[in-house]
Amino acid sequence: MSKEKNSILDYFETRFGISRNHFREFEFYLASKGRVFLGPKKIPAIGEPVSVGILIARMDNNIKPTTNLLQLFGKYADKNIVSLTEQQTKQYAHGDDIKLSPEQTEKTERGYVILSYCNVLLGCGLLRESLIKNMLPKAKRSELKFM
Amino acid sequence: MRILDAFKERYSQIVDDEPAFFDCLMQPLPKSFRVNTLKSNIDNVKKRFAGYGINLTQMPWYDEAFISDNLEVGSTLEHFHGDIYLQELVSMIPAITIKEELSNARLVLDACAAPGSKTTQMAAIMNNKGTIVANDLSYARIRALRFNLEKTGTINTVITNYDIRRMSKNQFEVILLDVPCSAEGTFRKNSELSKIWTMKQILSNSHLQKQLITKAFDLLAPGGTLVYSTCTFAPEENEEVVNHLLENRDAKIEKIEIPDIHMSWGIEEWNTKQFDPQLKKTVRIWPHHNNTGGFYIAKVTK
Repeated sequence: MSKEKNSILDYFETRFGISRNHFREFEFYLASKGRVFLGPKKIPAIGEPVSVGILIARMDNNIKPTTNLLQLFGKYADKNIVSLTEQQTKQYAHGDDIKLSPEQTEKTERGYVILSYCNVLLGCGLLRESLIKNMLPKAKRSELKFM
Repeated sequence: MRILDAFKERYSQIVDDEPAFFDCLMQPLPKSFRVNTLKSNIDNVKKRFAGYGINLTQMPWYDEAFISDNLEVGSTLEHFHGDIYLQELVSMIPAITIKEELSNARLVLDACAAPGSKTTQMAAIMNNKGTIVANDLSYARIRALRFNLEKTGTINTVITNYDIRRMSKNQFEVILLDVPCSAEGTFRKNSELSKIWTMKQILSNSHLQKQLITKAFDLLAPGGTLVYSTCTFAPEENEEVVNHLLENRDAKIEKIEIPDIHMSWGIEEWNTKQFDPQLKKTVRIWPHHNNTGGFYIAKVTK
């Protein structure tokens, strides 16, 4: 796992500026299909667990961070953050892709970005040109009425 | 909802105010939630809801607990983001009784964890430190457990899918055993349950619960704390189960005291059966006392 762990920590640092120090209290666990979980450092001897901690990334050819990760650790990021408008936030929560204005993308690079609204870190999106591909899992989608 | 005569007859014997109790069971529950301190804080949530014009009432017995007269709390950004967790008020109480033990615990077991309301609450109290083994016998329910752990940012957990009666020897410092039960205390939330209520089910639950509490106690480290809870009124599933443990293991009951909430002490006898006097230190939460569901909680030490 240490090779994968280092790749992920390097990615978080390079892509978002999230220091590896913020993960010191936890451990990384590699599961099937390239899924990476962040969980407690110590696991008791209890046989085979169903899962450990929360899913934070998927690794295949690239690293894909999850909304779980960015909602929790995005507060330590200093780059590749896109601020959404109220309407765009509703679209995001609904699961739709989002068209961005040129101003919204001027400080970001293509690839995975942190979406935020009024300092609330919403989660992960994939930035392609001026379009955010919605990465929100179906089960987490919602109709926002108060925001 | 129709309350069966047999149900009325049973609980008339032990409830303090029959009309208030039976009347309360017919009323819907207030919408309640808990602030998830792993992702937000109480002041921030209060401020945001005030901005929405949603009235909140903070519970005097638990700062993180709120009720609202607005039924659309689930459509807020805070719910979407996992800053709040919709949870029945009484279901927050078992974890409150072990706040101090949890704050220093390194290894905790939530024996019947799904869908994770109490696991996520315990993780918040532990500030994601230590390790919680979140176990559930039902694999189907583990999906909901995982969803809630992820939504609330609960990192310090290991999910397992065991019958705890067959769990290998371990030494947990804290165990929460919130057992499957007849759920009479949730009739206000799910009135359908009142239609399938039977004594046979209560007795069958009691049999299983006695096995579970004995095994859970055996999994506890010396000096550890076990909280046994149900959301039912049936003494066969409450005092009788804890009494069974006291008869078979060297367990001690610790008195539960939470300021500013109305709780009644456990009963000392039922159907001519006398219980251990220690059972008076356990608590019953009746719906009409705090406008909640019903619960029973015992705090056991080894």
